[in-house]
Amino acid sequence: MTETRVTENPVPRAASPAAGSAELLLDGVSRSYGDNLAVRSISAEVPASKISVIVGPSGCGKSTLLRIISGLDEPTAGRVEFEGVPVKGVPEGLAMVFQDYSRSLFPWMRVDKNVAFPIKHLPAKERAERVRFAIEEVGLSGKEKLYPWQMSGGMQQRVAIARALASHPKLLLMDEPYASVDAQTRADLEDLLMRIQSELGITVLVVTHDIDESVYLADRIIVLSAPPSVVAEVIDVDLPRPRDHIATKTDPRFVEIRGHVTRLLRSKEHATPV
Amino acid sequence: MTIQQGTDPIHVPLSAPESEAVEERAAVPAPPRRKARAGFPWPVTVLLRLVVPAAILGGWYAASQGERSGLFVKDPLTSFERFVEEFLSGDASRFFLGDATFDHLFPSVGRALAGLGIAIVVGVVIGVLLGISPVLTALFQPLIHLGRSLPSPALLGVFFFLFGTGDSPKVFLIAFSVVWPILLNTIDGVSSIGQTRAQAAQVFRIPGRDVLTHIVLPGAAPKIFAGIRTSLSFSLILMIISELQKSENGLGYLLIQSQRTFDYAGFWAVLIVLVILGVLFNSIFLAIERRALAWHRGATQQND
Repeated sequence: MTETRVTENPVPRAASPAAGSAELLLDGVSRSYGDNLAVRSISAEVPASKISVIVGPSGCGKSTLLRIISGLDEPTAGRVEFEGVPVKGVPEGLAMVFQDYSRSLFPWMRVDKNVAFPIKHLPAKERAERVRFAIEEVGLSGKEKLYPWQMSGGMQQRVAIARALASHPKLLLMDEPYASVDAQTRADLEDLLMRIQSELGITVLVVTHDIDESVYLADRIIVLSAPPSVVAEVIDVDLPRPRDHIATKTDPRFVEIRGHVTRLLRSKEHATPV
Repeated sequence: MTIQQGTDPIHVPLSAPESEAVEERAAVPAPPRRKARAGFPWPVTVLLRLVVPAAILGGWYAASQGERSGLFVKDPLTSFERFVEEFLSGDASRFFLGDATFDHLFPSVGRALAGLGIAIVVGVVIGVLLGISPVLTALFQPLIHLGRSLPSPALLGVFFFLFGTGDSPKVFLIAFSVVWPILLNTIDGVSSIGQTRAQAAQVFRIPGRDVLTHIVLPGAAPKIFAGIRTSLSFSLILMIISELQKSENGLGYLLIQSQRTFDYAGFWAVLIVLVILGVLFNSIFLAIERRALAWHRGATQQND
């Protein structure tokens, strides 16, 4: 993404479409369940090799949107394109980290088996190499033979991240990945994610309701309104990388963007839906 | 619709609490196998466990000495001697087993295991199919409840009529009677695999065969095992019942024959065999379950 820092505009809006490689494109995506409209005409671009964050109030249809992006659900209107190809079913090169690690990991498999399971079809040698690399990336070397339930929540979520990495994803989806871990673990995992993303250059799309987290992680924030959700604003975050929890979070720019996102979410909560 | 043993409730794993305590436990590779009960030293524990069996033996002996009850209750020692005489032998080439073991015990156990085996295969296969498909469950639910609530010994005659008088009516009666706990528990286990796990399997494009063998079956295994455990004791009961009529051998046949010929020592000897059999079956089953479900024991202990 091009740097679009404009002095008059406190928070830069995203550059117009066609400005570079959009890995994932949402074009007027709506989904209704019966008469109940969950998301309404969502249009956004997720740039390649960047971290994008969808933030919105709880119940704003973030999970619905994620299900549609991952091909588990179909939109009632609009289209989703991944690498220029319309999404039909779960696309190749997509991996996901779920909020509830204790339910998404398999308690009857040890750590290495959990990580290797999605790439079972690969030759043994390549599989072993990928598993070793992924486990090393998330800092769990030496814990391969533990069962997930023998680990803390933070470590289990690392296993889930390693499992996603082992499949060499181009797009990593994360559904409220750190909502079930304590604050310190959360901070560590946020830094882990940013390190892995910059090392591997994968495209990451995180869904969260945490405004701090969204600003801290994101190159681009897609702010959703209260249901039926529309895109309130797309913000390109121009905070320098690498970021860290003390310097970045005390940066006046961080405070400014956080305040802006907070106001957006507040005002939309009070707005009456059309 | 879950069938659970009173002694061994199946815990649904809850999400692990996020705390330092859990982190600590990560250092321990496996949870301790068995904890000393209530902290007693082991000789006390052993003694405590012997109290009730000793009381039963005492009661048995007392009954055998009674003026009336003594007519049909043989004392433990006589019964045990009779058991040794008929079911054991000094012949190493026959594994120190007696005639009655080969003529009656083995055929009985063979039929019980065959029936149980059929029930496990049928129960798990149909249970998985029904558990995966809500439509099939809805279709067959009434039939399953009908079959389950039928007192199956009442069908013995029907099975004789359908399958003749050999082993097959007995095996099929056992299978028909004990399939229900396995079937219902498998349905329940499979349908409670959880949305997140199903979604994870979908997102990672796991092929259907692997979903079945690596996700559905292991996930349902704790409930399936609970069902098999119930069925195991049923199969022993049905084994005896099926041999009470139109039988030429088996423990049930021995029971009824010894009663008819007023051979009460023989009768009590068979009861001793049945007790040993029940304990043996249960221990073997527990050993298998402990191996197969090691992860589940650990996971539930961790979350308690």
